Amino acid sequence: MDECTRGKVAAMKAGQIWRGLLISFFLLYLLVPLLATVAFSFAVRWDRTILPEGLTLEWWMTVIGRREFASALQHTLVVSLSAMVLSIVLVTPTAYWVHLRAPRAKTWVELMTILPFGIPGVVLALALIRTYARFGGRLVYSPGMLVMACVVIGLPFVYRPIANSLNAVDVRTLTEAAQTLGASWFSILRRVIMPNIMPGIISGGLLVFSLVFVEFTLANLLVGARYKTFPIYLVEFTRFDGRQASALAVMSFVIAWLTSLGLIWVAGRAGGNREEAIGAR
Amino acid sequence: MKQLGSLGKTSGKVGGLRKDMSNLLPLLPFFIFTIGFELVPIVLVAASSLRSPAGGLTLQNYQHATVPLLARSFGNSIRLSITTAFLGVLLGSLIGYAIHSTRAGFFARATIALADVATNFGGAPLAFAFIITLGSTGVVTLVLAQYFGVSLYPTFRIYSITGLVLAYLYFQIPLMVLLIQPSLHGLKREWKEAAINLGASNLQYFRRIVLPILAPSLIGGFLLLFANSFGAYATAWTLTGPDINLVTVQIAALVRGEVQLEPGTADAMAMLSLIIMAVCVAGYQWTNARAGRWRR
Repeated sequence: MDECTRGKVAAMKAGQIWRGLLISFFLLYLLVPLLATVAFSFAVRWDRTILPEGLTLEWWMTVIGRREFASALQHTLVVSLSAMVLSIVLVTPTAYWVHLRAPRAKTWVELMTILPFGIPGVVLALALIRTYARFGGRLVYSPGMLVMACVVIGLPFVYRPIANSLNAVDVRTLTEAAQTLGASWFSILRRVIMPNIMPGIISGGLLVFSLVFVEFTLANLLVGARYKTFPIYLVEFTRFDGRQASALAVMSFVIAWLTSLGLIWVAGRAGGNREEAIGAR
Repeated sequence: MKQLGSLGKTSGKVGGLRKDMSNLLPLLPFFIFTIGFELVPIVLVAASSLRSPAGGLTLQNYQHATVPLLARSFGNSIRLSITTAFLGVLLGSLIGYAIHSTRAGFFARATIALADVATNFGGAPLAFAFIITLGSTGVVTLVLAQYFGVSLYPTFRIYSITGLVLAYLYFQIPLMVLLIQPSLHGLKREWKEAAINLGASNLQYFRRIVLPILAPSLIGGFLLLFANSFGAYATAWTLTGPDINLVTVQIAALVRGEVQLEPGTADAMAMLSLIIMAVCVAGYQWTNARAGRWRR
């Protein structure tokens, strides 16, 4: 081995070490807070010693046993599921129509779906209050308004996957075939287009669901204590009982994990379906 | 109107217009919703930010929005956003590059999947996880004190702007790791070989080829991360409550009516932050389109 190659090998080694260090730092940074929260929620006591002093299910039992917990969870599920369904119902026909029949309106639709990226939650809440407070507090400070606000912030997340799915199938041919068979627009959308773009609809729906499930800002400013959702309940707990708050935080993390797993699963299946479709052709 | 008119050439102006209207009819629910819950509210805030209590046109609200306390909130928010965006871009692209160039495919995919989940963690649970990790009796605080003899407290506090930086980086770094991946895939191996064959050093290859190609992604990433941090509220509120004076914390306090100020002040602050956010998001879209040129 001459000098030059030896130098190269050393440089490569150094590169590998750097890479390893960077990735390890990254993994530690991402995992330590999560694992600490999980461990804390099961620890008898963990403020004096490196390892928790014994394990217990007490905090989980206490927090799950509260009546308020059940109602907070229920409120959050109502809001997340409504926002999810509403955004799918609103966006799917729109995305289909601009894809097939009104391509010139596409720019406007896309602009409206990107816009929420630039609106901070506090500003959206303020703007909705300014607009709808004149019709009475019962309208603006209501779970219904919270759902509307959540649909707005979910638009970028639900539009993209559905539009991508539409790009991946031959919408025009499918539509024409269904029209030849005498199908109405509703049944074309419901029975021909939607089954074909299901991966996009599920991905978009899952993203909106997980986003809304942890949405604190809008819930806090629009409904607050009147309709306590899961994140509001969690923030209250962080102020007075860390143990039980950690159990609630772990639940939020699990929801986020499950959503990601769902997204990966949908993406995997979508890939499989596409291959089958090509094979059939 | 221009759009509608131009369609008229096939079947006469009126018929074409009617046809075009019916063609746009299915889009009505979407536009009613977005106009009602996006556009009109924003326009009303803009209008109300320019209205004086007596009803006339005024810039008074913007003067109120820049009194020292509120001006400081803009200073803090901008400084926090620049810091976390800069560190996020720097560390995120380095880590993204390390992941991209690692040979263990499964390991790289698993790390990317973890980053994907982490960008979606935020708000209250994240802030709380950091209190458990780096609070005064947090696990890392304890490990550092007992094994390394480093006492973080009282010099460092998680309930501070430094604590916020650490918490924000938890979603900023993974976001940059994800944003930089497509551009890294666009860097072709042949370009490196060509550069080396022409006698370029590694540094020259990096400065003259890698950097210009990655530049749009890096700038775009910075803008997106800046906006991401500037608009954040839940994490800051859970971690530091009203202690750290940020724009979103101030607007939220005004909305909840905790602070007695003229309502126009909140609108002016909201408009100023919307302008900052709009510049960032539009800049991101623009650089994203440029970065796309190298991807095949």
